[in-house]
Amino acid sequence: MNLLLCVITPFLGAALVAAVARLGTWQAAAAAAGVTLAAGAWLAPLVGGTFQGTTLIERYTWMPREGLDLTFRLDGFGLLFALMILGIGLLVILYARWYFSPQDRLGRFYTGMMLFMGSMLGVVLSENLIQLLIFWELTSLSSFLLISYWQQRTEARQGARMALTVTGMGGLALLGGILLLGQITGSYDLSVVLAAGDQVRAHPLYLPTLLLILLGAFTKSAQFPFHFWLPNAMAAPTPVSAYLHSATMVKAGVFLLARLFPTLSGTPEWTWIVSLTGLTTLLIGAVFALFKHDLKGLLAYSTISHLGLITLLFGLGTPLAALAGVFHIINHATFKASLFMAAGIIDHETGTRDMRRINGMWGVMPYTATLAMVAAAAMAGVPLFNGFLSKEMFFTETLGTVAQLRFGWLLPLTAIVAGIFAVAYSLRFIHDVFFNGAPIDLPRTPHEPSRWMRLPVEVLVALCLLVGMLPALTVEPLLAIAARGVLQGPLPPHSIAIWHGFTPALWMSLIALTGGVLVYEGRRPLFALAARLEGRLEARRPYDWLVAGVFGVARWVTVRLDLASLQRMLFLFVLSALALGMAGFWSAPMPLTGAGPLLPFDPVSLLVALGLAACTASVVVLHRSRLIALILLGAVGLIVSLIFAKFSAPDLALTQLSVEVVTIVLLLLALYFLPQSTPAESSRPRQVRDLLLALAAGGGNAALAWAVLTRPAESIADWFLTHSLPGGGGANVVNVILVDFRGFDTLGEITVLALAGLGIYAMLDGLRLPAPAADAQGRAWDPDAHPLIMASLVRLLLPLALLVAVYILLRGHQLPGGGFIAGLVTAVALIMQYLANGVAWTRARLPANLHPLIAAGLLIATMTGLGSLALGYPFLTSSFVHFHWALVGDFELASAMAFDLGVYLVVVGATLLILIHLGLVHDLSRPPAEEPR
Amino acid sequence: MLSIAIPIAFALVGTAFTLTLWRLLIGPSVPDRILALDTLAVNAIALLVLFGIAQDSAVYFEAAILIALMGFVGTVALCKYLLRGDIIE
Amino acid sequence: MEALLALMIGLLTAAGVYLLLRARTFPVVLGLSLLSYAVNLFLFAMGRLQIGRPPIVTATAAGYTDPLPQALVLTAIVIGFAMTAFVIMLALKARAELGNDHVDGLHEPEVRDTDS
Repeated sequence: MNLLLCVITPFLGAALVAAVARLGTWQAAAAAAGVTLAAGAWLAPLVGGTFQGTTLIERYTWMPREGLDLTFRLDGFGLLFALMILGIGLLVILYARWYFSPQDRLGRFYTGMMLFMGSMLGVVLSENLIQLLIFWELTSLSSFLLISYWQQRTEARQGARMALTVTGMGGLALLGGILLLGQITGSYDLSVVLAAGDQVRAHPLYLPTLLLILLGAFTKSAQFPFHFWLPNAMAAPTPVSAYLHSATMVKAGVFLLARLFPTLSGTPEWTWIVSLTGLTTLLIGAVFALFKHDLKGLLAYSTISHLGLITLLFGLGTPLAALAGVFHIINHATFKASLFMAAGIIDHETGTRDMRRINGMWGVMPYTATLAMVAAAAMAGVPLFNGFLSKEMFFTETLGTVAQLRFGWLLPLTAIVAGIFAVAYSLRFIHDVFFNGAPIDLPRTPHEPSRWMRLPVEVLVALCLLVGMLPALTVEPLLAIAARGVLQGPLPPHSIAIWHGFTPALWMSLIALTGGVLVYEGRRPLFALAARLEGRLEARRPYDWLVAGVFGVARWVTVRLDLASLQRMLFLFVLSALALGMAGFWSAPMPLTGAGPLLPFDPVSLLVALGLAACTASVVVLHRSRLIALILLGAVGLIVSLIFAKFSAPDLALTQLSVEVVTIVLLLLALYFLPQSTPAESSRPRQVRDLLLALAAGGGNAALAWAVLTRPAESIADWFLTHSLPGGGGANVVNVILVDFRGFDTLGEITVLALAGLGIYAMLDGLRLPAPAADAQGRAWDPDAHPLIMASLVRLLLPLALLVAVYILLRGHQLPGGGFIAGLVTAVALIMQYLANGVAWTRARLPANLHPLIAAGLLIATMTGLGSLALGYPFLTSSFVHFHWALVGDFELASAMAFDLGVYLVVVGATLLILIHLGLVHDLSRPPAEEPR
Repeated sequence: MLSIAIPIAFALVGTAFTLTLWRLLIGPSVPDRILALDTLAVNAIALLVLFGIAQDSAVYFEAAILIALMGFVGTVALCKYLLRGDIIE
Repeated sequence: MEALLALMIGLLTAAGVYLLLRARTFPVVLGLSLLSYAVNLFLFAMGRLQIGRPPIVTATAAGYTDPLPQALVLTAIVIGFAMTAFVIMLALKARAELGNDHVDGLHEPEVRDTDS
């Protein structure tokens, strides 16, 4: 339970922090810190067991058939990362409280940070790989929100988009890799995958799997050639960089490398790809870092370089190298987070990050300078600081390859060069900022920052020193269990100590230190060269081309598909549908006419059919006179409902009749604002072409209908017919299907109806249309808005129609009727009052606001469903009782009837909402001179 | 008795249906057509009721009632449109 | 009888498609209505045709027609109304924004005299 709670706490806490942040900045920070501590508290009782070497696995069944369970895993490696995430997170929360200015909304930052923290914990504590990937993607998404925190700045938006694009693509590749891994091993559980290393490496799909997973890891950890997103993400606020780009997000990539190390490593492919990528990144990052004038740019490239170093260590594939990699993960997190924070302090105090302008800060903030120097020394690999220890292990490991690989000597050589540059850029960070003359034209006057802003840096720097001087007492136990978690086996013999004697590695360290000082001394010609090459070696160029290319292709396709004409697109659409249908007919070699029984003709049906045909044809022929076409459409609807009645569908006949009238009222309302006739625009060939297509479509449909109708039916209807009365308590099977058997569908449908009503309401908001002053023949409108006879008659109609509606609603479960039809009848009855008595009269007597009605309907329908859920039945299970009502007789009350009431209310509300608000447009559009009397 | 009456009634209503339809199609004026639509609804009621009697079933009679109600409403709406253009004001 | 219904479905489809391809919004809406009649009848016909056998359970009934297509079509009719309302509202909005009722909305503004 604890692991689940630990991961979920930050997600839930995000909402809490967002709510609390309104109270003030302190409260926001306190809430965020509280959430972090709470997440840590869930983890605390498990720490002891983990140090004893147990691996804790928590499993919650989710979708067992798909191999998807919520499964969490805590071993030494996961614990190490969880501690870094929570610990550095806590420091960043404190730091951010002072970093942001009062104008910045801290709540948004802390909320994003909580989301990120939860995602990151999810990544490191997942046992199921698919689940890991979900959290992996969540880190990409939440880091997008954090990087784009200052969304008003262009570079922040661009940087965030680039980070999301690159890591998102990597995530996609990773998904492919994980799916392949699941196919190979038959499970997505990490325990199974870790134990199946031999099987995976021998599998023919090993290489694609490896490549896809590495793509995911390399993009996340900013490895060459995907490293370019990290410097661009420096547009983020510094607390974000200190958290995401030193300790957590970019470490997720190397985390994955380490996590799958037992499964994937140990092959030549792994060694070559991973170590070469790491080596290239190590060197490029170190060299580029020296030439960045931006403080954070320098740190970003340095981070890339260190990530390359870690990747290279895992690429080497030996257990000792993996151990060194884990050690460097810890060390890099501490010194780089403190350096980012120090850079943030300098930025905060001076108002700029340009190292050419910031000089001589030693005189202003000696305390911060001392802290930064310690951290930078650790970054450079100076003895007595923690970076030195892992770097020396790294040098030792590179020497080990000299004998094993061809060109193996290249590895230590490159390592030394990268080490030299690391020393040089660390030196630059210190010398350029804190010494090197006087500051030039700073936007602000700097002084020592607040005591609390320095506290997180102090903590991290103290760790650098403690680990650097007393490694065996401090980091050794944690490192041991973490490395055991990575290797899934016993640890190699190793000793972490400052002094191993004059080993080759120590000499390499000394060469790097001396060389670094020399390079920095001779920097001027190098800087001049870099200035000349500025912009030539940008790795984001291919990215920009790629993005532009994708947009270009999308535009090309869009331009070709979007003909910018509804007529042409509809023509093509119908034509394609026709072609597909024809293909279906042709590819199925069977007779058009089936062997089912046919009903005999009767003259009345023939007559009605002829009537339908005549009306339909007339709608087409007379469609230019819009009102006449509308009247004829009404006749078509009437006859269609007769067809429904004839063929044993009384419910459909009732629905069709009611909808018909509502539609006519609707179209009349709309027609008022539209031209009364359609101009003859289409050319004759165009008309003939459309007619041919229409006849072909109609012929196709008729043939299809004929083919189906002449074949005997196989239906699942029997089940509904036999279970309707005993199971649903209703004799009207159609209604029982709607409100009971398929109640969930109906719930969806009334939701759509409500949404359509609200959408139309929104569209009508503020709509003004020119209203015609006279009718189609140019006659003035009749001055009598509400003829007395009509008004009186319609008032009489109201109780009658409402009675019919209630009757139809109540009996709907047993006989034709139900919520849909009753709702339409009620809506029509009420509309009639607006129509005959006017809006003012009706509004005075009826509630004008229909939204509560719709909401109540949806609520009742949903509550009915939830009610059965509360009683332990599946959603929307119906139950019913019989009882005797005086006067009415035997009556059956089913819970489905409450659902039907919900349907009824939604239909009434949505229909009235649409019609009345369309009617109100008229009032708004009317010129004030012609007020209705 | 009924077996003779129903076909005759069907024939008569059918004739009325045809004639009404003719008026609906040729017009000539819009009020003619509205009136024809209203009458068509009346014919439809008659057809449904006859059909119900022939089938010996009461299920169709609600539909007949509803046609009466809806036919009236449709006619009122169309007439209001002719008179005022604006039907909800 | 089946042939008659199949023909009616075909005719309604043809009329609907022809009006759908017109250039002004109102005929398109009419075409859409006709097309939805055709589709509703077609779906309904998937349960085959039965006369005098409504799906109302009684002790004496000789048999029932298929209730399932009816339930489908019933909601389809109501949703069809909502769709028609939405489309006609789009047409009105386009008319308000563009000054004409052409489906593509990009033709010359119409002459005022002809439409009222």
